[in-house]
Amino acid sequence: MQMDRSVPITWLGQHDCHDARLSGGKAAALSRLAERYSVPPGFCLTSSALHGIAPPISIPGRLRAAVVDAYATLAREVSAVAVRSSAVDEDGALTSFAGVHETFLNVRGDGALLMAIERCLESFFSPRALAYRHERGAFDAVRMAVLVQQQIVSDVSIVAFSANPVTAARDEIVVTASWGLGESLVGGTVTPDTWWVRRDGRVEAERIGDKRRMTVTTLDGCREVDVPRMMRKLPSLSAEQVREVVQLAVQLEQHQGRPVDIECAYSGGRLYLLQCRPITTLRSARDRAGPAPPEQESSTSF
Amino acid sequence: MSVTATGAGMRPIVVWEQPGDEQMFWQQDRMHFPNQLSLLEDDFIKFFYTEGFSAAAAGYELPIRPHARRMLTRHYLAIAPLQLSHEELEELGKRSEKNVGDAMARQRQRWDTEFLPEVRRMLAEWETFDLQAASDDALLAHWDATLARLARLSRIHFDLAIPMLLGLGLFDETYTDLFSAESSLESMRFLQGIPTTTTTTGQELWRLSRLALAEPAVRSVLESEAAADVVPALERDPAGATFLAELRAFLNRYGHRSELWGLSYPSWIEDPSPAIKMLKDYLSQPERDLVGEMESLATERERLTAEARAQLAGYPAQVREQFEFALAAGQAANYLQEEHGFWIDSYGFDCVRQVILEVGRRLVAQGVLAERDDIFHLRFAELRAALADPSSDLRGLVTERKAELAAFRDVQAPPVLGTEPPGPPPDNLIFRTMGKFFGAPPPPSDEPGVLRGAAGSAGSVRGVARVVRSLADAQRLQPGEILVTETTAPAWTPLFASAAAVVTDTGGVLSHCAVVAREYMIPAVVGTAMATAVIPDGATIEVDGAAGVVRILAD
Repeated sequence: MQMDRSVPITWLGQHDCHDARLSGGKAAALSRLAERYSVPPGFCLTSSALHGIAPPISIPGRLRAAVVDAYATLAREVSAVAVRSSAVDEDGALTSFAGVHETFLNVRGDGALLMAIERCLESFFSPRALAYRHERGAFDAVRMAVLVQQQIVSDVSIVAFSANPVTAARDEIVVTASWGLGESLVGGTVTPDTWWVRRDGRVEAERIGDKRRMTVTTLDGCREVDVPRMMRKLPSLSAEQVREVVQLAVQLEQHQGRPVDIECAYSGGRLYLLQCRPITTLRSARDRAGPAPPEQESSTSF
Repeated sequence: MSVTATGAGMRPIVVWEQPGDEQMFWQQDRMHFPNQLSLLEDDFIKFFYTEGFSAAAAGYELPIRPHARRMLTRHYLAIAPLQLSHEELEELGKRSEKNVGDAMARQRQRWDTEFLPEVRRMLAEWETFDLQAASDDALLAHWDATLARLARLSRIHFDLAIPMLLGLGLFDETYTDLFSAESSLESMRFLQGIPTTTTTTGQELWRLSRLALAEPAVRSVLESEAAADVVPALERDPAGATFLAELRAFLNRYGHRSELWGLSYPSWIEDPSPAIKMLKDYLSQPERDLVGEMESLATERERLTAEARAQLAGYPAQVREQFEFALAAGQAANYLQEEHGFWIDSYGFDCVRQVILEVGRRLVAQGVLAERDDIFHLRFAELRAALADPSSDLRGLVTERKAELAAFRDVQAPPVLGTEPPGPPPDNLIFRTMGKFFGAPPPPSDEPGVLRGAAGSAGSVRGVARVVRSLADAQRLQPGEILVTETTAPAWTPLFASAAAVVTDTGGVLSHCAVVAREYMIPAVVGTAMATAVIPDGATIEVDGAAGVVRILAD
């Protein structure tokens, strides 16, 4: 298919957004998932629209108008958005830019959104990002796209593996979850709840973590706070929710044709898919360590 | 006799009441019972704790049991964890968490629709019984009925008090965790300004003072006569009749409170002097608007609540639910802390006291006792036996027991006795909340002239310290002075309208004294352990309520 270089904005789930050369690896993957799964709505500033932009970053007037327009469409339902880089060579099967580019959460208003997009573009030119591309042999001119997506106010964030990444057991799904946005879970500042589940839905083991920290959205961004003590040892997912997450992971693995790790979130009782990647660390079968035995610690507040 | 005194200056020797007592960890509860206990008071506390605290703790499946003892003539309390395996404790912990959580959610409704109607029925049964006209047999039956009612009151008290206190602790922790609060005083602002019988009593007394200000003859009597002479003077003056009727109606409605918890102290109905003293103080503050001040607390509470909810909009739904649950539990608890105190601790116990006083009067007439109040030196069983068969002469026994109290009067009873458990106290909601209620040992102070306690109520003030040993002694407290005392019970709280600040030896941020100081917006430092011992009466001191610090500036 001929790439349409005139498109400045594409929407997740639309066909042109599936094209990684236009919307970057992350957005293209989400766009394809959005056809079948509950992915938060969003739009992409395409690599063609951003072509040639270099520091000092300033978004051209025509693109600004298109962004404000698209945000107005998106914000009819939601006012807060997350702004993420979607590099054209990002999230491919071989390279992973995770964490190299900046992400801006809970952005509200036209001015804040435009500023977040500019800061996000600047991060493509940070010494760290440049060094990373150099190491990977990505010598081409920087090709970047930016994803603007509805901010999910997550009640619970989840990372699930359709195969056990530690033991490489292909028939065991591992679900980890904790309160709030995913940053505390992904960033490792919280001991999450973990469930080890068979493909047939049988729970092999569960460990409820002492979840002391959570990331929450505030009026002007997000921050990490203490979890109230009475909630720390409460399971963050019900048995039914664990089953729903397991089903989603199994479906995605079948759909992708290989083991995946997914990030998702419950918000207002609804399960959103935020990310789905192949498991890059999975090795062939080796010794089965099995789940860690639950430690003997108190699970009640009294 | 359970204890023996040794010579002055020597460590008192404790004789343990029951096997195993030495292995338990006893803490002197000076907040509720700062004075020596008579034997009747000791029996009362044990009855109250067995029928109430222990039974309710078992009902909620809490992993603790309370024990009360009288040692060195003082009241000691042990909260003993049940000796169970880790697995059993886990199971029990889960069940009690659910039981208490359910009770927290229902506490206000249960009080309004179940407990209060039942309490009022019992109060009516006491009040419609004509004590003086009853035959000895009828009085004996009435005593048995009184104990049965007291058992029920005790159970209601603790069925209420356990979820109530843990509800306060739960809200404090929830708020402090979510908003990174530096002190419990922040969370407590969400519970303030809720009208209760305690604040209504203060406001009604304030209204009486405004009536008195408007009637020159009444004002003149209140300003010139000593508290004890006010009622006779008003009776002599025809212009005082309307006011006197108002005063009597006030005392009948709110006057069941007495100086401290227990049965030993006269209520305001028996002796209205404390109430009249407070009325006299209020006359000297003609410009204040006490009712308006309290309404401003409610306005601030609503503003803070709206702000917190706006902030929580971006938090997980379960966290918002937890906050709302804890806020409702905390607000209900703040209300119930005062209401149960009025209806059970004041009104109910006063009804029991009136029965005991009637027994005392009869035993004097029958030659069993020398004075009415000697009845307080008998055990419950001895009281009943004497009432059933008034042929014995207990005067010698009472003399011995009075001598025992006298012998121990100046003995320094240690704050703790028995065996301190190894390691820190269990880190759970129950023990954390108990610490905030009874108060933890204050942090040591190495600065001379500086005392540390718990922050009870925010604000800083400098003034004259009035070290007060009893409510009668509080007659010396002048408006604008700082009340320094071991503890304060509900009957003391109208004093907070004229005191500049309050400093106590006992209690924590959830203690009655701290709660009420916040309602009256005066600084409070509580649980200093030693304020009454080291602050000289009349010294100039500075109280920093938020920091929990008292500085002695000049003797």
